[in-house]
Amino acid sequence: MTRQLPSEFVDLESFLPWALPASVARNKKRLASSMEEIKSFYDAILPRADRILAYLDQYSVKEMPQDAAQLFRLMLALAEVSNAVELFHEPGVTDGCDPSRFVVVKERNP
Amino acid sequence: MKTVMADRRWIKDHADLGTGPVSTETCTSADFFERERDGIFRQLWLNMGREEELAEPGDYIVRDLAVANTSVLIVRGKDRKIRAFHNVCMHRGNRLVNGASGTCNKLLVCRFHSWAYDLQGQLQWVSDEANFYDIDKSNLGLRSIAVDTWEGFIFINLSSSPAQSLREYLGGLVQQIGGYPFQQHSLLCRYRIEEQANWKVILDAQNEVYHLPFLHIAYPDFCPLNEQKFSRIQSFKRFDRHTVYSVENNAEHQMTATEAIAARTFPGDGTLSPSMIGWFDFYTIFPNFCLIFLGGNYLTYNIWPVSVSSSVWEVSVYQPATDKPSERFAEEYARCRLRDLLQEDASNHEAIQASLNSGALAHFQLQDEEIQIRHFHKMVREHAEARGQSVLAAAGK
Repeated sequence: MTRQLPSEFVDLESFLPWALPASVARNKKRLASSMEEIKSFYDAILPRADRILAYLDQYSVKEMPQDAAQLFRLMLALAEVSNAVELFHEPGVTDGCDPSRFVVVKERNP
Repeated sequence: MKTVMADRRWIKDHADLGTGPVSTETCTSADFFERERDGIFRQLWLNMGREEELAEPGDYIVRDLAVANTSVLIVRGKDRKIRAFHNVCMHRGNRLVNGASGTCNKLLVCRFHSWAYDLQGQLQWVSDEANFYDIDKSNLGLRSIAVDTWEGFIFINLSSSPAQSLREYLGGLVQQIGGYPFQQHSLLCRYRIEEQANWKVILDAQNEVYHLPFLHIAYPDFCPLNEQKFSRIQSFKRFDRHTVYSVENNAEHQMTATEAIAARTFPGDGTLSPSMIGWFDFYTIFPNFCLIFLGGNYLTYNIWPVSVSSSVWEVSVYQPATDKPSERFAEEYARCRLRDLLQEDASNHEAIQASLNSGALAHFQLQDEEIQIRHFHKMVREHAEARGQSVLAAAGK
């Protein structure tokens, strides 16, 4: 079986449910998660973020092996959940409207 | 240019805008909404999007404009020229093209009876033509709409004889914004948000930064603050109907951990275009188009009235395309942050409209840092009232 994450980052495999391919799906997972779940993912990946990005930058997004692509999606999920941890201290936007009302009509990268 | 922190700075240069309260009735009156429809949206140049959306001959977009009760079809011809038409078949009025965008290689064909038009709008085919009486296909082309482009932005004008060319309409903006490298950017994402709010309530809420340390309390130091921690803009300029306010980069902004990582990997070298006034330039291009330069990127708002108390807010984010993973991470971080902050705005717009609908607030009170709103409402009133008077005059009253 091919490994799911590059060997240097296999310890992050328990967070693979966050490696979703679309921004809308990542946002939904954030809102469906408890703050404890979000924080445990955030705390695991944030200290590794610089190292992960340096690793990923040996590839182009278009030509990444599957394990690197999964790692890249974990980083996109960090972009999604970081505001929950750093700004709002709850999964959603405090007093914000339902994000599903922000209908994505076009996007370059999902 | 350093931000001046003094109080009541802008009224000194713009005393004609006055200091009194501003009526809220323009956001709740169905009669006023009809005047806006006639005096603003059927008279002035309206942004429809960007030329990149019609990259190749045959590419088209359709924009349904509830405020003008019309659907607009914009097509790039084989001669690469962009043309705009009412999206209406000249036979019995069926909507000609369905869908929001597409590519037509040959003819635009009506689904009802198969009348077909070329990309220049000429009627080329009438099914069962011999069974009609005296039709002249050369006189039955699609009804055209005035269209022009500026810096890649497509504008239309629904008036049969626009009072000004697009260049004249934009005036000093052409010089001010000229040179910005729009061609290096492409659409990252576009959001469409249907809101129960008057279009001006939405625009006003974005047309000042007084609210930033409060509504966006989790992100309080986006712009420079005075000693009392109140925001101050760096510059406010008027270009006839249009305005721009600018904000200096706040050197004391405290970045979060993830923001700091994204800042290190964000595409570009951080150099701002010489066309920029501040670090954040917010143009309100009258009536409903906001062109916003933020650091090295730009975004646009098209705020479309649907009824007096409902609108569609379109947010389009433009950035240079990249396939470098770390840059894509930074891009995604910026997109998520913008979307989250705008969720705070969206719920706020609807809360304001609900209050205005109650009749509990007759006037807005505006401070010096909200002078942009004062200018905007003056322009709205002037156009809507001028139209109302001409309608009354035509009726002999």
